[in-house]
Amino acid sequence: MGHDTKNALQILKSVANNPQSYIANWKEKNSLPVIGIFPMNFPVEIIAATGALPVIIQDSKEPISEGNSLLAEFYCGYTRSIADQAAKGMLDIFDAFMNADHCIQLLGSVDVVRELLPDKPVYFEHLIAAMDDSWTKTQVQEKIEAFIIEAERVTGQPISDEALLACIQSNNKNRQLLRNIFAARRNGDAQFSPAELQAMIVSSMIMDKNEHSALLESVLADAVAKPRDQRIRLHLSGHFCHAPRVELFELLEDCGAVIVDDDLYTGARYISTDTKESMPPRMALADWYFARNETIPCPTRVQKTVDWDSYLLNALDNSGAEGVIVVMAKFCEAHMFYYPELRKTLNTHNIPHLLIETEHEGMPVETIRTRVEAMIERIRRKSPTRQITQESA
Amino acid sequence: MSTAYFMGVDLGSTTAKAVVLDDQAKVLSAHIVQMGAVSRRGMEQAVESALASAGIAQKDINYTIGTGYGRRLVPEVGRTFTEITCHARGVAALFPEANLVIDIGGQDSKVIALDEQGLVDNFAMNDRCASGTGRFYEVLARALECDISEVGALAMKGTKDLEVSTMCATFAETEIISLLAEGADPADVAASVHRAIAHRALGLVAMVGKRDGIIMTGGVAKNPAAVHFLEAALKQKMQVPDDPQIMGAYGAALLALEISSGRQITQYDPEKVQALESKVEATFNPKNRSIPDCISCQK
Repeated sequence: MGHDTKNALQILKSVANNPQSYIANWKEKNSLPVIGIFPMNFPVEIIAATGALPVIIQDSKEPISEGNSLLAEFYCGYTRSIADQAAKGMLDIFDAFMNADHCIQLLGSVDVVRELLPDKPVYFEHLIAAMDDSWTKTQVQEKIEAFIIEAERVTGQPISDEALLACIQSNNKNRQLLRNIFAARRNGDAQFSPAELQAMIVSSMIMDKNEHSALLESVLADAVAKPRDQRIRLHLSGHFCHAPRVELFELLEDCGAVIVDDDLYTGARYISTDTKESMPPRMALADWYFARNETIPCPTRVQKTVDWDSYLLNALDNSGAEGVIVVMAKFCEAHMFYYPELRKTLNTHNIPHLLIETEHEGMPVETIRTRVEAMIERIRRKSPTRQITQESA
Repeated sequence: MSTAYFMGVDLGSTTAKAVVLDDQAKVLSAHIVQMGAVSRRGMEQAVESALASAGIAQKDINYTIGTGYGRRLVPEVGRTFTEITCHARGVAALFPEANLVIDIGGQDSKVIALDEQGLVDNFAMNDRCASGTGRFYEVLARALECDISEVGALAMKGTKDLEVSTMCATFAETEIISLLAEGADPADVAASVHRAIAHRALGLVAMVGKRDGIIMTGGVAKNPAAVHFLEAALKQKMQVPDDPQIMGAYGAALLALEISSGRQITQYDPEKVQALESKVEATFNPKNRSIPDCISCQK
């Protein structure tokens, strides 16, 4: 890895680890608003088209304290973290908030933000989850229009189609650059660690896209392909809203696995789909919402023509993954409801899989290590080509 | 006379176990040291004792495999395997008809489904909770003011099924004390806790699917009441090796031989197993089973 790559990567990691610092610097430099975006489906191009900075709000690594009195303990760690951040003043840096997703836990945390930061506009429009209904498309287009109107109101800046198109193009370029890196990993290039890839995605959720793309280009220009080694190939699946702890990635690799693909929100899911530049921009943003669920189906959406399990089987074929690690955020209802279906499919196809339930605080490292190593040993011992002799151990 | 020797070392959360095999997979020695907590010295003692019983030195060992939570601490280790793989291997060698292993150790419990070849097909284990593990029985013994080795016999005398709702190893102690304060018979309390723990284990079994041919391993399998109440919950008899606690180290030693020699040990040989059983029984010294002075008293 060359000097420039290291520097660029270091900046991306630093932004991913400390969004507040980047946001503060950006505000000081640009004197424009920063809008906090709740995951998963809000089209950030709308905010960027006003000149404001859209930032997808990240899970904080800080232990939840004050947030525990605001949301019950059966809310997921991410939503309790948002409540905690709001209570500790960590969201004060945002000028407004936007949300397009109807997760009951997420809405709880949005309500906390609304309650604790009464002077900040908090806007919610529900992008309908029933993708097949005859009225869904029209309604999604109406919601996109509503978001645009609200973004204009909050920022005081009109949004032209030209500005929207320019932002669509810069987001597409950013996604394409990231997709190239993820495709290289899928095809056998192990030049970036899972933690580095996550830092690239998370920093993209925070930074100005042109600035982020420039750093990515610098990373790619100097990157040298690294052939995949003989470690067991795994697919990481789950975590729809926030980033798993990097310690988990490190543990997986330490156990003798290599992550070759994923469908994480802070991974392949986030960059899966471009917004069509050939369509009128407002329609294209609505279309993106539907196209996204076809590229990597989300269990929070209902669509008869696609399903997550079929996608996963296909993804495993493409990457050559030998097993699946399902990372489920504790109390994520959508994931909990869908998981039995996923497990059934993986069992039917005799694909080794392991469920790891994640929490905001505490990771039982040694028990996870034992479970992951046992899964890897199972894959190795059942595969004649994977048997290890004393010499190769 | 064997020309090669292989060792399996299982460094668990409360005990260290070592098994030495010859090149025909015959058990030459097996040794257990009760530590109370993960201890490098306890492991060294188990290894030294196993080597001494086998009449060989460390340099004579061709290949060693470490297992258990402390597997990376094992000296001269060729490679490591999880205790899931090792218990499965040990059980598959001794019980060719086995389909399911219930391994309850000091701080965790695991249910391992085996395929037709005796390889791990699926498994489930507790992760954040010590409920139903050896630690839970220690809490019970402490609350009942008896030795851990007596708690099973006491439970077998219980006749009443008392309500034990807490399955947290920490909070259970207060519930047990509360029952005793209400005048409950300690035997009934012990039996009720065993019954409740057995149903907890049943939950793990359900995660991989109940099947015939169940073998129970781990230190808790030495507790006759734990076995009895688990069988009652399963509505099925289980088989328990003569020394269930050594199964992980035995499996590790078998894997050491197999990896080193490149051949699979598939033949069930009662004579070889008998050696395992008798040697283990011979080394079961009350001194090395007490907590925690076992190590100092062996010096």
